[in-house]
Amino acid sequence: MTATTAKEQSIASSIQLRAVTKAFGSVQVLKNIDLDVASGKVVVLIGASGSGKSTVLRIMSGLETADSGEVVVGDVPMHDPKRAPEIRGHVGMVFQQFNLFPHLNALGNVTLALRKSLKMSKAEAREVGLRCLERVGMQDRCANYPSQLSGGQQQRVAIARALAVNPRIMFFDEATSALDPELVGEVTSVMRSLAADGMTMVVVTHEMGFAHRTADRVVFMDDGVIAEQGSPEQVLKDPQHPRTQQFLARVLEA
Amino acid sequence: MLYQWRSVLEYLPDFLRAMGLTLWITLLAFALALVCGLGAALARNSKNAVLRLGAGAYVEIVRNTPVLLQIFVVFFALPSFGLRMDAVTAGTVAIGVNVGGYLCEVFRAGISSVARAQREAAQVLGLSSRQAFISVIAPQALRNVYPATVNNLIQVLLGTSLLTAIAVPELTGVATVINARTLLFVQVFAIALVLYLVLSNALSFASGLLGRVLFKPPLEQVRPGLWPVRRARTITTTAEVAA
Repeated sequence: MTATTAKEQSIASSIQLRAVTKAFGSVQVLKNIDLDVASGKVVVLIGASGSGKSTVLRIMSGLETADSGEVVVGDVPMHDPKRAPEIRGHVGMVFQQFNLFPHLNALGNVTLALRKSLKMSKAEAREVGLRCLERVGMQDRCANYPSQLSGGQQQRVAIARALAVNPRIMFFDEATSALDPELVGEVTSVMRSLAADGMTMVVVTHEMGFAHRTADRVVFMDDGVIAEQGSPEQVLKDPQHPRTQQFLARVLEA
Repeated sequence: MLYQWRSVLEYLPDFLRAMGLTLWITLLAFALALVCGLGAALARNSKNAVLRLGAGAYVEIVRNTPVLLQIFVVFFALPSFGLRMDAVTAGTVAIGVNVGGYLCEVFRAGISSVARAQREAAQVLGLSSRQAFISVIAPQALRNVYPATVNNLIQVLLGTSLLTAIAVPELTGVATVINARTLLFVQVFAIALVLYLVLSNALSFASGLLGRVLFKPPLEQVRPGLWPVRRARTITTTAEVAA
């Protein structure tokens, strides 16, 4: 029984992208992307703005559909428009601008999907919600509205909200880019603890420190293609591709 | 001079009754306008082309023809098609349908004012688009358009004076009748004006209170200028927050 569950889990939280393309109007954002994320691994996508990192994430989370190619997330073939909606509620997404619901307090944000989508009772949702807020160290602020929280606190609530539905995979789309530098640490430490717990994560970030310490694999994207990928040690310390070298030189210099 | 006022004030009960009718028509017409406006806004955003077209036609016709003419159509022309209403009902319907057209556009603006990112966040969480609309989009949209909606309520109140044209005994109509009887137009219309001011400010005040209860975190005062004390308090709290 346990073995089957574990097996299901291992199938259900991996991601495969095969020959994925995507264009917005005349701009070809993704050109033939192949990417595998094994269950329980943390993959960090780096690259300049406009290189297609966020689009990859949005395709994997079902917010965009690929023009061609195969995308399998968990056991859902996302390239099949009939089945793609099945992924909703099974992955978590954390956005650069937090996207908390401003009319709900922290607990309300975390419990909304539990109540509406998972049909939990109020008491049950509250219990799960408080546990998720505790996980990100925000249980004391559960009654605060997003406008009453700092950026880092809002992002932690957003992570709790994503965790509440018990997702198999978490996507982070520049989760720390909108934060004041001194607030970045509180969010990355939550992300690291998730990784340590074995969550499958795909992270778009400019935090090279996070990539280096936490990633199992770093993927460098450039102009819609994956230019280079490998262990953080390889990609960040000994990049082979000239574009990767250029990019890292610029990022580390800043 | 004083006796003139005294002789007009003898009509105060008539004024107050008319004021009551004005308020009653305002509230009913506004309720109808809310229903029409919300229905039309949803229809105009719907996937169904017939609904979209129908709602579009409604809004365009209602907003591009005179209200007074619309009142005449409902009261004088509709009976030819077998739809007979008394003046109060006809006037209420005409004004409600008219303001509904304006509210439709207000609500639509409100819905599109909520960032697409909110919808996306709800979608990834597993909410259906209906659930996302009800629990995420609509509450924020309503909050964004609340001041504009209250403005339309005041427009309804002021618009009811047009019903004088179909002999509804509302405030303006009754004032003209009393004026004809006494010929004390300064006094008569001064009283009518004051009563309209009382009504509109009472409605704004009530809407402001409702807004405070309805929206969390609390909405700003809808018309802060009218309440100097409260305004001063708002300014000090803002200053405190800033400090």
